[in-house]
Amino acid sequence: MAIEYKKSQAVFNDFIGVEEAEALLEWLQKNPKGKVNFAECTHIHASSLQVLIAIKPPIAAEPNDADLAVWLKIALK
Amino acid sequence: MKHILVIDDAATVRLYHRNILETAGYSVDEAINGIEALEKALVTSYDLYIVDVNMPKLDGYGFLKEFRRQEDVLQSPAIMVTTEAGNQDKILGYASGANLYMTKPTKPNQLLSYVRLLLGEVA
Amino acid sequence: MNNLLEQFLSEARDFLQGIAEKLMQLENDPNSTELMVELFRFVHTLKGNSGLFDFPEMTRVLHASEDLMDAVRNGRVSYSQTLADQLLEAMDFVSALMDEIELTGKTGSNHVGTSTELTNALRALLNAPNAVHVPVAIETYTEDGLAVKAISWSELPPMDLPESTAMGLHRCAIDGETVLWLQYTPEPECFFKGEDPFFLIRQIPDVAWRHIILNNTASTLAEMDVFSSQLVFQLLTIASAEELDDLLRYVPDQIHRVKVPALAFVKPSGNSDDVGLDEDFIINILEFFDNDEIETLTNTINTMLELSSPDLWSSSALRWVLHLIETEPDNKPVQRTLLEALRTQKTPDWSALTLPDVEPTRNVVASPVVSINTSEVSDTLLVYFHEVIDAQKEILSLPATSGGAWSAGRLKAVGATLIGCYRAVQRANEVEHIEAALQLALTENSPTPLLIWLDNSLLDTHEPVLVEEHEEHIVVNHLAAQTDAKSNRRSEEIGGANIVAASKTLKVDQDKIDRLMNLIGEMVVAKNALPYLANRAETVFGVRELSREIKAQYAVINRVAEEMQDTIMQVRMMPVSFIFQRFPRMVRDISRKLGKEVELVLEGEATEADKNIIEALSDPLIHIVRNSLDHGLEMPEARLAAGKFATGKLLIRASQESDRVLIEIIDDGKGIDPDVIKQKAYEKGLIDESTLERISDQDAVNLVFAAGFSTADVISDLSGRGVGMDVVRSAVEKVNGTVGIESERGKGTRLFLSLPLSMAVTNVMIIESNTQIFGVPMDMVVETVRVPRAHIRTIKQKQTTVLRGRIVPLLSLNDLLAKSEPQLPNEDDEFATLIVRVHGEHVGILVDDFRETVDIILKPMTGILGGLPGYSGAALLGDGSVLMVLNPRELI
Repeated sequence: MAIEYKKSQAVFNDFIGVEEAEALLEWLQKNPKGKVNFAECTHIHASSLQVLIAIKPPIAAEPNDADLAVWLKIALK
Repeated sequence: MKHILVIDDAATVRLYHRNILETAGYSVDEAINGIEALEKALVTSYDLYIVDVNMPKLDGYGFLKEFRRQEDVLQSPAIMVTTEAGNQDKILGYASGANLYMTKPTKPNQLLSYVRLLLGEVA
Repeated sequence: MNNLLEQFLSEARDFLQGIAEKLMQLENDPNSTELMVELFRFVHTLKGNSGLFDFPEMTRVLHASEDLMDAVRNGRVSYSQTLADQLLEAMDFVSALMDEIELTGKTGSNHVGTSTELTNALRALLNAPNAVHVPVAIETYTEDGLAVKAISWSELPPMDLPESTAMGLHRCAIDGETVLWLQYTPEPECFFKGEDPFFLIRQIPDVAWRHIILNNTASTLAEMDVFSSQLVFQLLTIASAEELDDLLRYVPDQIHRVKVPALAFVKPSGNSDDVGLDEDFIINILEFFDNDEIETLTNTINTMLELSSPDLWSSSALRWVLHLIETEPDNKPVQRTLLEALRTQKTPDWSALTLPDVEPTRNVVASPVVSINTSEVSDTLLVYFHEVIDAQKEILSLPATSGGAWSAGRLKAVGATLIGCYRAVQRANEVEHIEAALQLALTENSPTPLLIWLDNSLLDTHEPVLVEEHEEHIVVNHLAAQTDAKSNRRSEEIGGANIVAASKTLKVDQDKIDRLMNLIGEMVVAKNALPYLANRAETVFGVRELSREIKAQYAVINRVAEEMQDTIMQVRMMPVSFIFQRFPRMVRDISRKLGKEVELVLEGEATEADKNIIEALSDPLIHIVRNSLDHGLEMPEARLAAGKFATGKLLIRASQESDRVLIEIIDDGKGIDPDVIKQKAYEKGLIDESTLERISDQDAVNLVFAAGFSTADVISDLSGRGVGMDVVRSAVEKVNGTVGIESERGKGTRLFLSLPLSMAVTNVMIIESNTQIFGVPMDMVVETVRVPRAHIRTIKQKQTTVLRGRIVPLLSLNDLLAKSEPQLPNEDDEFATLIVRVHGEHVGILVDDFRETVDIILKPMTGILGGLPGYSGAALLGDGSVLMVLNPRELI
């Protein structure tokens, strides 16, 4: 699974596709204090990206992917 | 003497431009909307047009498109003058046949510099 | 009255009449689009006319009316009776202003309030809930396929580029690379077409700046439609046009590109300095500049840079000047404009560059960049020349479909414009080439021949003249070297890292500094364990030798730790200008609002203090300044009547006094009337009748700091929502500061705050009471004395003693902590007594015994303990035990 939902963290793995957005929105709404972990993530589809921008959840780990890290930093600041 | 047509529905703006241009030694005619401007421009060959955008009957774009499609008149340069709110209209102005775009209220020095350039006058 | 003003007034009256009539007609026919369009045009034209004059109040109201009518015209706001009433009210105001102009030729400044109210009311209607939200930056297209919303670079949203990035991009643009501002607004349903706009945008290479906007229209998260794209991407790139075209070929209609010229990046940033650079300095460097003494100029600038804070706007501007001298040595107008801007500390408006009286005859060294005989053409004209030429290029680059039947006319007009321009800058020899290109363009019915001619002609002018004078092989080398250098630079500079080498300043994340400070704090505590250890070595294990060695080591570690502490304190130091810089604007705004005239003087802005102190100072200071403006300084008429200048003076001064920062706020207003204060305090029950009679004037003035005291009869929205100076006092005391006030009726008021330079480490005295130990901050302790039991007298059931001829009240710590045990005296029947200063008075606190003083890191108590009054915090001691630190102010 591309996004693994743990107790207090959503862990993003590899490439996050368009189908993940709804579940992500739901989880972030249910877990307002839930953190997001991008360490292993290489790309996030725009649909999930806009969910993240709308909510701006606390970040548990930044992506190792340098380019993605720059974008997310701008988007979620 | 170079001949300039100032097209604007606001008498105050026409007078403002007339004052600036006449002081600099140009001869100025006025038109209060696109229709009147066309009537005058097709009879007299002006050296430059200063065109407002928002006017009743025929607006600045309409005037320019109609004027630029005339084959046997002198196609002199045109400066489009709009308010800040009309900024987005710049490309439409260019597409319609304007050569330059200025925001109201025009700064006299800037306007005169442009006019001199477009009329090819050595300072 | 001049003819233009006369014309304006007479035409404006007609418009006002017309507006009133249209509004009446709309009442009968509220859905008439025609009426609305006409109404909009009237308001629009009237606003345009008023903009020709300096009637800001009138223009502001008309502008708001125009925006409102524009929204009505476009159906974003629906027409209503309220709207009509509001509009009529606005027009009445405009009409009244015109009466005044007719009589006096100008508008008075007393209309600001009304105009603001009207504007706000109109704007409120614009944002009414029934208004349809129209997201910004969405492009629409006409049948011609043209973007309706097009903007020039001068209208791009602010990007806040870091200086190094901006300089890198500027260099790229100078080197002939195209820097594009690109906006990508994916269509909402793009996800359903299998598109991923974010993936696409990430493919764009050489991005120097990026920004993402979310146009979320849903009111709640639950309503958010995740499958409809609401994103807008913006970025700056130096990728080539071909690369971009290829990448974005499927979404061309969703892309907006603007070529950003080099000048647009020349935008110094930083804090504006209220004092600004010395005028003499500016005159000096301008002289060097005008005499072409570039080396002296750069040396002078470098020296100034070393002396000034790098964060200042002026420092940034000076660095830009150096950068321009390096990259565009011959673009004198721009350099000079920037130097001139040091006076105003504002980035020049490059888009309308009008140079300050540069004499056209001034013999500029023939510029190799633009090979025009510059001695005859003014620099200003050249700037305009390039603007006009760029506009013609833009026109020629429009999609072919947009021309229609008038495209030939359009081409001819462009040709006429180009001929005019080249004639005007004395390059008439180009005219025949332009005419040839125009003929070709007309025959082919295509703008390309003109575009090609323009590109070549501009290329010519950009070709460094120098190259032509060299032999061929040198030219080749030169070019090769240039290309190499360029590609290297490109990769380095976009990241903005290349500037670091030149600067000795290091930017460090604040978290790291805080972490370092905490570590040093722990270190200070840990080293405190060594004396304990030495003690135990001697008393428990009986090795005196070892004990002595530990003490010697302790002395060394102590010294190093103290130095470390000092150093980190220095790092955390910030100038008070950080808070002072907001005052000019604030004072201006508030004094305008109140109709008062105030001259603000700031002194000692370079005074430094710990970051936490500076931050804690911010709110109290704002409060005090507001108070001074609101209650202290009088209206101009009242001042004149009192024989003062109409303009009041407000002085805010910072200075350092040994280990404290002193901040004074001095106004020359009406001062505080002690009688009024006494009466108020009595009415509010803060003092009793006997106090009312004998209280001194100074003590009465001090009552403004008492809780629940507020002198204003009407709580204004300025001096804060009914909170008084007691809030200021407690905020200042929280960081171990004190606050005082002096006032003379009719002359003015002086408020002073004294704060510690730093608050990281606290020196406390350990005392013992009821078998427990407590800490007391040393800065509150005046002295320690032992008071014999016989010297304690009971006056009015209160214990007191006489100390150096002064009666000092005595309080027992056990009593204060609600313990029933009596304090224990020593063998000589003396009580250990701490004399502390509380609100300017000396009070003795009886304890059981004194112990040593220690440096601790005071941590405020949190959670349930946080609510405990009487304690300012807790600290860890060297032996691992916790020390509760008392706050005598709260205790008593």
